Amino acid sequence: MADEAHLRALILKGLAGDQAAHRAFLTEAAGLLRAYFRNRLRGSPEDAEDLVQETLVALHTRRDSYDPNYPLTAWMYAIARYRLIDHVRRAKHRTHASLDGLDVGDADPEFEASDAKRDVTTLLDKLPEKQRTAIRLVKLEEKSVREASSLTGLSESDIKISIHRGLKTLMRLMGQEQTT
Amino acid sequence: MKTDQLIDMLARGVEPAERPRWARRMALTIVVGLVVALLLVAIGLGVRPDLMGAGRMPVMMKAMFAAAAAAFILPMAVRLMKPGRPLGWRIGAVLLFVGVCAVATIVALMGEAPEDRMQAWMGGGFPWCVVIVPILAAPTAAGLLWLMRAFAPTRLTLAGAAIGAFSGGVGAMAYAMYCPVDSVAFVTTWYVLAIAMCAALGAVIGARILRW
Repeated sequence: MADEAHLRALILKGLAGDQAAHRAFLTEAAGLLRAYFRNRLRGSPEDAEDLVQETLVALHTRRDSYDPNYPLTAWMYAIARYRLIDHVRRAKHRTHASLDGLDVGDADPEFEASDAKRDVTTLLDKLPEKQRTAIRLVKLEEKSVREASSLTGLSESDIKISIHRGLKTLMRLMGQEQTT
Repeated sequence: MKTDQLIDMLARGVEPAERPRWARRMALTIVVGLVVALLLVAIGLGVRPDLMGAGRMPVMMKAMFAAAAAAFILPMAVRLMKPGRPLGWRIGAVLLFVGVCAVATIVALMGEAPEDRMQAWMGGGFPWCVVIVPILAAPTAAGLLWLMRAFAPTRLTLAGAAIGAFSGGVGAMAYAMYCPVDSVAFVTTWYVLAIAMCAALGAVIGARILRW
């Protein structure tokens, strides 16, 4: 499959520290994930987009769990499937709704991103202060880790760890967020 | 935040990912778990009085049996740590081990005189290993579950069961230092059931604890 070799090359470059390749990987993964979730959550493209975002954060924060000896798409869809099951389980807890609309169907011809229901920016505000500051400085205000370190007085490795932990926390918050 | 913005945010300032040295951490966790289990046996149950004498050989055989059980389960447990890797023959290895134990039990019991069979099978009392081995497995299981949370397991029940069963093998190794029953049929039945008990507990606990 063309997707497989191409995506695999991108994530491997990303793992080696190539920012543009990592970005390209996430962008292409987002397209595939959107198709995947929309097929399974028909009639609620916002939920699907929430899951796309959640899975992207999962792919990013857990990218060291990708074993290059195995197909990348298997890894990616295993995570997507896991997020979907988790989503359904949470939805069931909340509303006891039936699981209609979860059946697999044809591809949705429209793959544009619709708006997600929840806003990640709001969720970022809920992170512990250290994690929030580290993410804001490096990920949103485009400062380097070193600049962030001298601005906050934290060590560089502390900044990196805070970002990583913060993104993991973010993914958990995304899961807990009420989407009904 | 739109998905494109989220991608920008995630990709910004990406650095080379560190290769986690998980094999070393896993080995360390297992060794610590085994040592704690051995201490629990030494303090809580007391080792067999004949450990250095007549009991040395049977204790060694039982410990090796438990180690073999753990070794047959390990490939499956490792596989389940990361997403999207097929299990393949690794389930077969576990089934093979259980099958061999079943055959060994029957062969061993056939070798006994009919009136001795019950004694050889049950060990002359309640098989306490079914209760105690899971307790001895707990330190290893706790360490491995904690370790696995750092990865991204996607089949939680199965992953929990594999960790539980593996830890059960480690716990049974420690239990062998105390276990007073040396009959083959007893070990191939009740040790295996004790490990299966650990797998069941692991499945239930793993499905909750491993969520991420």
